[in-house]
Amino acid sequence: MALTRTRALAVGILALALFAALAASVAIGSVTLPLRAVFAALAHPHGGGDATAIVWALRLPRVLIAALVGGALAASGTLLQGMLRNGLADPSLTGGSAGAAFAIAVAIALGAPAPLYAAIAFAAALATTVAVATLARRGTGISRERLILAGIAVSSLFAGLTTLIIQLVPSASVTLSILAWLGGSLVGHGWRDLSWAALYALAGIVVACTAVPALNAIRLGDARARALGVDLERTRWIVLAASSLLTAAAVSVSGVIGFVGLIVPHVVRALCGSDARWALPASIPAGAVVVVLTDTIARSAAPPLELPIGVLLSLLGVPAFLYIAFRRERLA
Amino acid sequence: MIEARALALGYRGRTVLRDVSLTLRPGELVAIVGPNGAGKSSLLRALAGQLAPLEGSVVIDGVVAQAFSPAALARRVAFVPAEEHADGEVTAREAVELGRLAHRPWWRWSGEADDERIVEEALARVALTGDAERRIATLSSGERQRVWIATALAQRAATMLLDEPTSHLDLAGAYATLDLLHALARDGSAIAVVLHDLNLAVVSADRIVLVGAGTVLADGPVDVVFTSELLTRAYGAEIAVRRTTDGAMVAVPRRRVGGIAR
Repeated sequence: MALTRTRALAVGILALALFAALAASVAIGSVTLPLRAVFAALAHPHGGGDATAIVWALRLPRVLIAALVGGALAASGTLLQGMLRNGLADPSLTGGSAGAAFAIAVAIALGAPAPLYAAIAFAAALATTVAVATLARRGTGISRERLILAGIAVSSLFAGLTTLIIQLVPSASVTLSILAWLGGSLVGHGWRDLSWAALYALAGIVVACTAVPALNAIRLGDARARALGVDLERTRWIVLAASSLLTAAAVSVSGVIGFVGLIVPHVVRALCGSDARWALPASIPAGAVVVVLTDTIARSAAPPLELPIGVLLSLLGVPAFLYIAFRRERLA
Repeated sequence: MIEARALALGYRGRTVLRDVSLTLRPGELVAIVGPNGAGKSSLLRALAGQLAPLEGSVVIDGVVAQAFSPAALARRVAFVPAEEHADGEVTAREAVELGRLAHRPWWRWSGEADDERIVEEALARVALTGDAERRIATLSSGERQRVWIATALAQRAATMLLDEPTSHLDLAGAYATLDLLHALARDGSAIAVVLHDLNLAVVSADRIVLVGAGTVLADGPVDVVFTSELLTRAYGAEIAVRRTTDGAMVAVPRRRVGGIAR
């Protein structure tokens, strides 16, 4: 029972941290607003004035998109790491991110309208993930090792194809916009993009919830989970579908942002254990805090220059990744 | 009750066992013994409905095993696989709670009062009540084996099948585990257990199933199965059956390591 209290406390603290990060992120920028002005603008959306315009038209959608991207990627990573029982799994490992990125690069090159990105990203993420899962089939089940190998291979393939698209595009401005998008960027999205992405993310979370009891049993090992009544095959498909939806939601509004799906699940497990009933809900605010804060740094560290958030997260993520990898080795 | 009817078992076209027919009845502790690679674990998995037979069928309570959903199967047969790496962070209680998984719909993430009572009973039955909040990484092999048995008990299945539950245990630990299984059988469960150690099978089982030479060589009470001829045929090495001064049977290899005959 003490364990439940500790976990509930951790989730509560993460939710509070998210609220604080959102408020700070709306306040901080090229023009820094006092928190009082932020809350006044939030309370009166039609109040007029510069603060209201900045908050509602510029900062709030962007901050919420950052939160959505972080929450979706972290939840996706938590699901995949739980299912594969591998702490190095994340959406980029199952090919979903690379497939979605390639599809959107093609869409940009062909001049497809931006509202279609979420749908394109989802179709591509799901198709890639299904292709990877099919390659990983062994007998009647999906082999964990083969899934990871196939994911890495397919990701490399799509990374190569994306580079090819960039070189084939004749217009320099289109090339630049693909590159900017691939670097991971939250620039230039509004409420419409947010609502589309939120729809996919919400669907992903709902699908994921159906796999939670099975993911808990898988912690005891695949054979034990099956003996306890888990349909392993179905669980794997559910997790892959949920993770595709979540990845698509994130990739469609932010491009390729790595490391969040990899690192945040580790932090969450350290805080509230590997029980999916806690780890999955906790991963959402945790991932959101990381991306909201990183985005705040990205756009306020060296104004008017904006650092690409994907690059910034990689700079922070690589040391964290190495720390986790070496710590695992030491523990083993 | 579980019935195996004319089973052939194997993987990818390679048949490991053929012509296997046997029945597991309530109140009986059955030991499955035989050499490495003979197909003991395959037989157990097939009886648990976890391995589809190449030929023949496994019938559980009158229904072919493959017709059950995984959850329906888990409510009838509690299968305890051989030691497998588990997340060491899981506490004993959390593991045992997972035994109730097949008894509730997927949208209910936690058990109800009834489930909690069953979990408490299972923990008490294996004498782990005081250690329920310990993480399984901190438990000894014997304690961990008891966690898996308690998890199986929480499934409230009529049949319990265990794959080498004594493999990492010392003699006292093995006896404690088998005492527990014996008591469960006396309470009316049908129990089958794969054992590596022939002499443990002799002291614990009501019936022994001897697997060897690609089939079940014998199935019956200890003194029927435990003959020098059958054991020698199963293991491909000369094995004598002796009686100790107090009448207990023991299987003894006929030669010592290094080739000296005894």
